[in-house]
Amino acid sequence: MSAAHSPGTPVRAARSRGQRGASATALTGLALAVAIGVWWLGSARLALDHGTDAGRGAADALHALWLVRGMALSILCVRVGALYGWRRGADAGLGLISPSWPVVALAWSASATSLTQVALAELLLLAGSAALPLLGLFLRRSLRRVELAVVAGSGVGAALAAALWAASGSGYMPLH
Amino acid sequence: MSRWSWLLWLALCGVTDASAEPRIDLAATPAWKGWTRSGRGTELDIRLTSDIATRATLDVAAGAQSARADVDLEPGRTVRLQVPIEAAEDAAVSAVSPGGSPVRKDVRLAQSESPLLGVGLGTDVPVRLDGFQTVTLAADDLPRNASAYASVDALILDGPTLRALDQRQLGALLAHAAECGRIVLVNTDLRARQVLDGVRGCGGRAVMSAASPAEGVEMLKSSLAMSLAPAISLVSIRELAQPDRVSWNRVLVLLAAYFAIAGLALIFVPSRPVLLLVPALATVAILALLHAIEPPPQLVVWSEGESGAQVARYEAWQMFPGLVRGQMRVPVLPQYAAVRSCEPSVPMRFDFDASRGRLTFAAFDTRLFRTTALCYSGMFPLQRTIAFEARTDALLELRNAGRSAWPSGALLAHGLVYDLPALGPGDSTIIRTEGRKSLEAPVRIAMARTESDRIATLWELDPGEVAEGAIDGKGWLLLTAPRP
Repeated sequence: MSAAHSPGTPVRAARSRGQRGASATALTGLALAVAIGVWWLGSARLALDHGTDAGRGAADALHALWLVRGMALSILCVRVGALYGWRRGADAGLGLISPSWPVVALAWSASATSLTQVALAELLLLAGSAALPLLGLFLRRSLRRVELAVVAGSGVGAALAAALWAASGSGYMPLH
Repeated sequence: MSRWSWLLWLALCGVTDASAEPRIDLAATPAWKGWTRSGRGTELDIRLTSDIATRATLDVAAGAQSARADVDLEPGRTVRLQVPIEAAEDAAVSAVSPGGSPVRKDVRLAQSESPLLGVGLGTDVPVRLDGFQTVTLAADDLPRNASAYASVDALILDGPTLRALDQRQLGALLAHAAECGRIVLVNTDLRARQVLDGVRGCGGRAVMSAASPAEGVEMLKSSLAMSLAPAISLVSIRELAQPDRVSWNRVLVLLAAYFAIAGLALIFVPSRPVLLLVPALATVAILALLHAIEPPPQLVVWSEGESGAQVARYEAWQMFPGLVRGQMRVPVLPQYAAVRSCEPSVPMRFDFDASRGRLTFAAFDTRLFRTTALCYSGMFPLQRTIAFEARTDALLELRNAGRSAWPSGALLAHGLVYDLPALGPGDSTIIRTEGRKSLEAPVRIAMARTESDRIATLWELDPGEVAEGAIDGKGWLLLTAPRP
């Protein structure tokens, strides 16, 4: 039997591609956490040096972390779900969300925001990372063509991200 | 059960109920006849009685501050407490004993927009001062806590009123005099004047003696024309205290370590358990580390006095940097007087020791990067006298004319700083003309607080010198004298 027809090779290749993809989204999530963490620590240092309240900057950091991750999740997960299925879409979402948790915990500790609100916001993100790939999968099965499903998934994800951005200031959103 | 048994049972129930439910009577009277000013401190005089022996819990709430005290009540004996409170439109006082019904009294405080003039004269002579709201006082309307004197801007008292004050009222009045409170004594005897002269701050310009109320008003008008050194501001104190960079540095290190570990883990082991476990464990570890590391409180004391005066006034700030969300309960420094929250808008709960009549613990919410501070103020005995002599070949000759030795410090004159060596009693030193400019926070604050016609000396001060007992912290003593 030739190597091209070996049953293990395509599986290993797919697994490898999947691991690279998960790693890339997780590193993107980590980069988001680093960027907002640096911004928050910088504003906290300025507040400490000027004797002002560092809690406002922490609340802003919580809001920014939630909004940026929510928007990135909308754009990424529907597309990945359409392209690779639910499991890898959910993994990508988790990789995007979870690296920010220590920053979220520290910013919550520095802010006046309630624990319930922060926990609810994180649960919403987790629910999104589970539900949005399903939407992508649904598009793929409805449209029956992967290319079309990916384009449609990207469009739906972008529309969801825009809607999230537009609604971010309203009282219905957590951490508004 | 027979009729007699029923009656006995009912009687016993009545006795049991009576012993389980004490009836507490509660009365609360604000100092200054209920007048105060926004953002200032005042006092509630609380009287508690009970028909049976019981232990009651007293709660006093005003604005964002509250105080709690456990009080042992005996039948037929009135327990009287004077609890310092923040000025608010309403204060709520409640008392409850085990098994008893809570008793509550709401006290309305009048917040004056004009400065307040307290007038304690035995006669009915009307006293008016333009722009001031006059409050006519009896001796019992004067507070027992020095911090409550913040409510009034000027005070006129006569001999009979002074003589009617109890020891605690006198102590608070003396502390107010030491803190440059404007007080006019009308027709007081020599001894009372001498006592107040011994403690008066601001070079004695704030405590005045008059022969009549009308003369007292005129003296107050003249006094109001000149400014007296106000209490040092919280902004200045932040300059004296080191900013809370310890917490910030720790958070920076923890986050940097996490980012490094997470980055390596995600590159080399990109699996779902790693995606979940690394951030989750890091979150728990960071929060646990912050809980484990408690930064020590910081104490800053600023004191000021006049050369030759018997007392100096001080203000102390005890700062508690927060690292985590939670509640902090800290003991109030017993060595320092008139404790209060430095920021009245920050909710704070105090424990009040009914037997000693003072606040003992403070509890408040903390969070990362927020420093909560307790403020103290009072006076301490001081005997430092500076004598100057102008010289043609140097700036001046300075002599320690007091009975105690000085440590080395700095002389502040003409906007410059001169090194001042340690001097024993009677020793002198010649200050040469080579002064230097300084941007150090204590020097800048000292210069800003020294009037142009005076010379100042600035020493570093061990906070333990202000009050008995070893206290960690840093402090300064500013002593001023007329320019030679």
